[in-house]
Amino acid sequence: MSPRISTPKTGSSDPMAASALGHQPSTLRAFQQIYGLLWRRGIVSAEVKETARLRNALITDCGY
Amino acid sequence: MTWLTSVVSVDASFDDVFGLRPDLHDSFQAFYGLFWEQRLVDPVLLEVARLRIAQLNGCTTETTLRYRPAIDAGLSEDHALAARDGNPGALASPLQGACLGLAEKFVLDVHSINDDDVAAVRDVIGEGALVALIEAMALFDGFTRFAVILGVGETSDSVTIVDVPTSMGRSRGQR
Repeated sequence: MSPRISTPKTGSSDPMAASALGHQPSTLRAFQQIYGLLWRRGIVSAEVKETARLRNALITDCGY
Repeated sequence: MTWLTSVVSVDASFDDVFGLRPDLHDSFQAFYGLFWEQRLVDPVLLEVARLRIAQLNGCTTETTLRYRPAIDAGLSEDHALAARDGNPGALASPLQGACLGLAEKFVLDVHSINDDDVAAVRDVIGEGALVALIEAMALFDGFTRFAVILGVGETSDSVTIVDVPTSMGRSRGQR
């Protein structure tokens, strides 16, 4: 399957910024803010979060 | 009606429940509002996607809201209902119909989205707006599921027009 979106010209080594998300820097920053909070803080353990993340990726068949 | 009654009232709003984690709620509001505040995508396309996704997820709170930027940009109530009910032929343009189809497949079977589905939107609005639109679809899908799972939000059938949202819950509160 060929890419449906070109690689953004961000020059960033960050994989998210170098992905399609890099086409919208403001939403990428906002996403990273909330996603980072989800992982850094809270009473749900990282193991539980990772289990949910992997299960979701498997069900959605997302190899990324 | 939420079942989180040990921490919020039985008729708690989306914001009441999400506000149990104020740091996440604040970040969500900032993220969600960007799409309208910065006009990353035509607000009519956002509304078409939001209404269809909310309907497919059975989220009455969202299907009865109308965002004012979309109304101001020309979305009629007939078009809003066509979007909600998945009727592309009754929308105002082929682009809106293509956006509706993308939103449906996003929720129902993401792997069925093909190159033509993407091109029909991308080739009109551009790559940057397409990325924003897909991100918005992810938010609509995720947070309508959030509202449905936790049983939050109102269940009235009356349509309410709200100002530019900074979150789904605050929108409802601005009636």
